[in-house]
Amino acid sequence: MVSEKVVVKNPSGLHLRPAGILCREAIKYQSSIRFHHYNTTANAKSVLSVLGACIKCGNELEFICEGEDEKEALAAIVKIVRSGLGE
Amino acid sequence: MYKGTDASAGIGIGKAVIVEEKELVIQRETIIDSAAEIQRFKGALETSMEQTRILAEDLATRVGEKEAEILNGHIMLLSDPMMTGEIESMIQKDLVNSEFAIENVCTMYADMFASMGDELMQQRATDMRDIKTRMQKVLMGVESVDIASLPEGTVLLAKDLTPSMTAGINPANVTGIVTELGGRTSHSAILARALEIPAVVALSGILEAVKNGDMLVLDGSDGTVLVNPEDEALAEYQGKRAAFLKEKKELEKYIGKPSVTKDGVTVELAANIGKPEDVDKVLQYDGEGVGLFRTEFLFMDRNAMPTEEEQFEAYRKVAIAMNGKPVIIRTLDIGGDKEIPYMGLEKDENPFLGYRAVRFCLDRKDDVYRPQLRALLRASAFGNIKIMIPLVTCIDEYRAVKALVEEIKGELDEKGINYNPDIQLGIMVETAAASLIADIFAREADFFSIGTNDLTQYTMSVDRGNDKISYLYSTFNPAVLRSIKRIITCAREAGIMVGMCGEAASDPMMIPLLLAFGLNEFSMSPSAILRARKMITEYNTEDLQAIADQAMSFTTTAEVENYMREFINS
Repeated sequence: MVSEKVVVKNPSGLHLRPAGILCREAIKYQSSIRFHHYNTTANAKSVLSVLGACIKCGNELEFICEGEDEKEALAAIVKIVRSGLGE
Repeated sequence: MYKGTDASAGIGIGKAVIVEEKELVIQRETIIDSAAEIQRFKGALETSMEQTRILAEDLATRVGEKEAEILNGHIMLLSDPMMTGEIESMIQKDLVNSEFAIENVCTMYADMFASMGDELMQQRATDMRDIKTRMQKVLMGVESVDIASLPEGTVLLAKDLTPSMTAGINPANVTGIVTELGGRTSHSAILARALEIPAVVALSGILEAVKNGDMLVLDGSDGTVLVNPEDEALAEYQGKRAAFLKEKKELEKYIGKPSVTKDGVTVELAANIGKPEDVDKVLQYDGEGVGLFRTEFLFMDRNAMPTEEEQFEAYRKVAIAMNGKPVIIRTLDIGGDKEIPYMGLEKDENPFLGYRAVRFCLDRKDDVYRPQLRALLRASAFGNIKIMIPLVTCIDEYRAVKALVEEIKGELDEKGINYNPDIQLGIMVETAAASLIADIFAREADFFSIGTNDLTQYTMSVDRGNDKISYLYSTFNPAVLRSIKRIITCAREAGIMVGMCGEAASDPMMIPLLLAFGLNEFSMSPSAILRARKMITEYNTEDLQAIADQAMSFTTTAEVENYMREFINS
């Protein structure tokens, strides 16, 4: 299991479009990909789960990947969140 | 006559077609073979996704990628593993039919989004209900209403239009849209504007007042709807429709053009807004900035003061949307004329001469002014925000606000919070006092914006709402004109920006005078911008000097008005 923290910088938080981009990246990997924010945990492969976490601009998320390709998955997810998820 | 919310400008005239979605009756049925039922669900899911994909592609080619986005979002939601997993496990565990499992799971998500309270999440709730219905229709073999093949000259009437319904609308056949629900920012309104179909929304009760085939007239610029109008009214609206279409075509040529006079004087054409979502209109009409963002909406119709965070979100939203273009935000302008119980404002004998605007704010620094200014400063890190103080009468007020802003900057520095250190602090010039000492203000303030509505009212000592004396209320009164000219001259001499955010800024008779006086920025309602740009590009400021000199030589309002009317019609 590997994890890393990253801050969301999308102005309107993780609404449908950036959440969709995150999920599309996440499903490329075999590993399970989740993130923690306060006391909620969301599945990064599910748009509904990501939207339900109600992530706002400036929130810090801790991504946790577990599985065979966990290292690659974590690196890719952190990179895409940092890059602003297409915004 | 009915009045709803104006959602998409233009006049629509045609025969009413009421579009009603048949309410699906979802019953719980017990199934025996859960594996077969799951296959049935998967098949319906596939078909729903395929249908949505076709609609999205059609919309993208017919209207635009941006408009198809919402349907692409639906495809994402339909393919969500969490939702499909829950539906499948419900079928398996409870041995229920797919329709029922979909109803349960999708409604649960819709309710969750609806309870989040944020506007974007409300939209997701609508999306969830839309995809739920789509899957159920596939399962039950119910055909959707075929909106794509309505007869020509149809005015579409519906309780509400779902994204999948609106996607099929063909502007060649649909001349107008009227809905009972929705708002200016709902999907159907956005799409109506993109398709340039006149639309009136949020008109409750209209479905009861109209039968299929009734003649309907709607004015999407003011929200009016007429049902079976008299010939006279019909002819009037037909004329309006022709004029609207002609002017629209002519004005569209000015989108993206600079606001520059024949002799090369560039001015800024900005917009007045009252809510963050009004920015859409500003961009649609190619506004070069926001000249006045009234912040009162944040404080009205509620039981408690908005938090700093809430204000910050609203200001930041506008700053980001305007993408570096100037956004002048006016600090709270309320007084005893507004009933805001939680504010503790008492009824004032003379509310417009009383405890209001900056006077009130400076007296209530800790609970009112400081949070607002802090929110403004924090939001300034996200765009080109400028702060404007209303109802200033003496320099002490300006200095007090300036000191407060500096103090808050210090606090933000300590906490390492970002803001624009060079944020401009200007004043709204709208009192006779501020006008008379405009030269003093110009030495310290970063910019002026002339609020002609109040300036006229205060200069003429006239309440324009009082019919018996409203004849005195005219921006063309020589006293008001001298005041305006003086304010502009003082600003120009000090080298600061001077704008105008009252109604006069878009008045065709006033624009030539303002250009001659040297006004830098004209701020008006977004829909007036292109007309103003057209006018400005047709003038030469050097030629206008003689016109302005002549106008200023008259002694009565009537003389000035007649002269300017003749000039613009010549």
